[in-house]
Amino acid sequence: MSAPRLLIANRGEIAVRVIRACRDLGISPVAVYSEADRAALHVRLADWAVPIGPAPARESYLVVEKLLDAAKKTGATMLHPGYGFLSENAAFARRVVEAGLTWVGPSPDSIAAMGSKTESRRRVLQAGVPIVPGMTTPARSAEEIAEFGRENGFPLLLKAAAGGGGKGMRVVRSAEEVPEAFARARSEARSYFADDAVYAELFVEHPRHVEVQVLGDATGRIIAVGERECSLQRRHQKVLEECPSAAVSPELRARMEAVAVAAAKSVDYVSAGTVEFLLAKDGRFFFLEMNTRIQVEHPVTEMVYGVDLVTEMIRIARGEPMSIREKPVPRGHAIQCRIYAEDPAHGFAPSPGRILRLRRPQGPGIRVDSGVEGGDDVPLDYDPMIAKFVAWGQDRDEALRRMRRALSESRVDGIETSIPFFLSLLEDPDVVANRISTQFLDGWSYVPKRPPEDVAAASIVAAALESMDGAKKRRPPAAPGCGSGPGAWRTARTSFGLRE
Amino acid sequence: MKFRTRFSDDKVGRALDVTAGAPSFEATLEGVPLSGDALAVRDGVWSLVGPDGRQIEVSVAFQNDGSVRAYAAGCLFGFELLDELTARALAATGGRSTRRIAHVAAAMPGRVLRVLVAPGERVTQGQPLVLLEAMKMENEVKSPRDGVIASVEAVAGKAVSAGDVLVRFEAGGE
Repeated sequence: MSAPRLLIANRGEIAVRVIRACRDLGISPVAVYSEADRAALHVRLADWAVPIGPAPARESYLVVEKLLDAAKKTGATMLHPGYGFLSENAAFARRVVEAGLTWVGPSPDSIAAMGSKTESRRRVLQAGVPIVPGMTTPARSAEEIAEFGRENGFPLLLKAAAGGGGKGMRVVRSAEEVPEAFARARSEARSYFADDAVYAELFVEHPRHVEVQVLGDATGRIIAVGERECSLQRRHQKVLEECPSAAVSPELRARMEAVAVAAAKSVDYVSAGTVEFLLAKDGRFFFLEMNTRIQVEHPVTEMVYGVDLVTEMIRIARGEPMSIREKPVPRGHAIQCRIYAEDPAHGFAPSPGRILRLRRPQGPGIRVDSGVEGGDDVPLDYDPMIAKFVAWGQDRDEALRRMRRALSESRVDGIETSIPFFLSLLEDPDVVANRISTQFLDGWSYVPKRPPEDVAAASIVAAALESMDGAKKRRPPAAPGCGSGPGAWRTARTSFGLRE
Repeated sequence: MKFRTRFSDDKVGRALDVTAGAPSFEATLEGVPLSGDALAVRDGVWSLVGPDGRQIEVSVAFQNDGSVRAYAAGCLFGFELLDELTARALAATGGRSTRRIAHVAAAMPGRVLRVLVAPGERVTQGQPLVLLEAMKMENEVKSPRDGVIASVEAVAGKAVSAGDVLVRFEAGGE
């Protein structure tokens, strides 16, 4: 009997992450790819791969019919949506189920309930979960938002109703700013989620973003797997995450976990999910939203709690109980840095292009989840995150030291990345001492560090030598017989093209 | 071979004289002798080992404007590196100035969301000119100089390629 097949309706590092979970479970992974991704790593790691159209996501990764056709063509019986794209689209989940496939995620009804910011508020309020004051229906006009602001006070936060991951969010500090911000939030919401519904809520100043991982299975059991600290955000996009949060005591953790489980129960949650909270300075916390999918930052939880959330999702989707028997206990501390293809020295402008060289960090306590390798192109068409570096340590200090080591060790040539930004950030005394909030990075600017004189001199000499023709001392070419000429591969390939 | 080099936050440049190339390079930087073993690991990647054993791995990339971007020891930094003849020619004509910037071009492919200025408009350095969407983010293209807009080539809703001119400045005055 051939291995069951699971289609990953995504790309990049999360597609690679799900492929790894498939391998660990003896499942055969099926990739899909746009024209920009033919050579992408997630395609090359898969057993099966199906083209789904042009580079723009709206014509490929967001087209339901193409994804369902790809599953049919390859005989996939399961579908994992990853994060972003259609992962929180209840209509898509429904279509997947109706096509007879196993949807690796919560039920379409749970997605719909939590995906609607208004319905989710209604549900969790009934379950006794505290929330921040906000509009109960999407705004029909800028005036409606201004009116809400006059009643509840400014600043307000505009959010995409279908959103997540910070896309389409805007802070509005006065009624005068509403029309412009409303238009921009709608425009971003439309281009990213194909849905321009936007609503407003009160903006709690200097809060922390702390979220609780939950896992529910078909037996009705729902457990919490600790919290993550995600306060370091730039343009409302998380850039660095930690587990546990250094601001959360065991007593507070127990309360947040209980509330998160209650929120999940309010929609009969099955699968992995995340309940996001704003943690105020006084220790009060408010429900923000529930992400009904795997999170970008799930690896920090996996490192500290010793669980594999993605394989659990697949097990649960197949109707099996979760393999976690007892409530997992945290061990040590983990930090994740999201490495983006962007130029920190030029306002974090996107830096797409070909990665000429990629040296990944390795060694004790380091995990790298990446969708690219050296020689790969970073296309302009998608999110510019190229890798996640995760460092684990016995405590936060060791995790920080290991993360600094990982960042210094790695090298990316050909494109700019946020690695120098993180090296500076992790030297900031407030970050080291954990005095942070979600607004911390708004008031923090990356200043390129002047190199020590010996490093500067070496760089100047290297550049001069590089510019001088014939001045190079090259490495000798590889010894003859290495990696060239006809060999075993050539004879073996005659079998390629045969299908079972 | 003689060069002039200058870090962006330095007022004065320094003279570099390379008297022997790789593998055993010899040079002086503003009179300070430098020597060691230089290995080009691949294009743009060098490993330098000094006589005292100090090893530094350097990545260098030459930019369109003639400057160099380097990454070494966790530091990302830029500097000018000009051969002496070019450096002298530039010094004679008054060097580079923002006043000479004639236009603003798209740094990357994307789509023009909005045009924020009109021909004839006086703008200041740092003022947003055009709103571009690239990699799912909205990016403000800011003015690199004070000046007056001569023409606007960017059209809202249209795609642009890297290097496409978005806005032109009137010649001269700030």
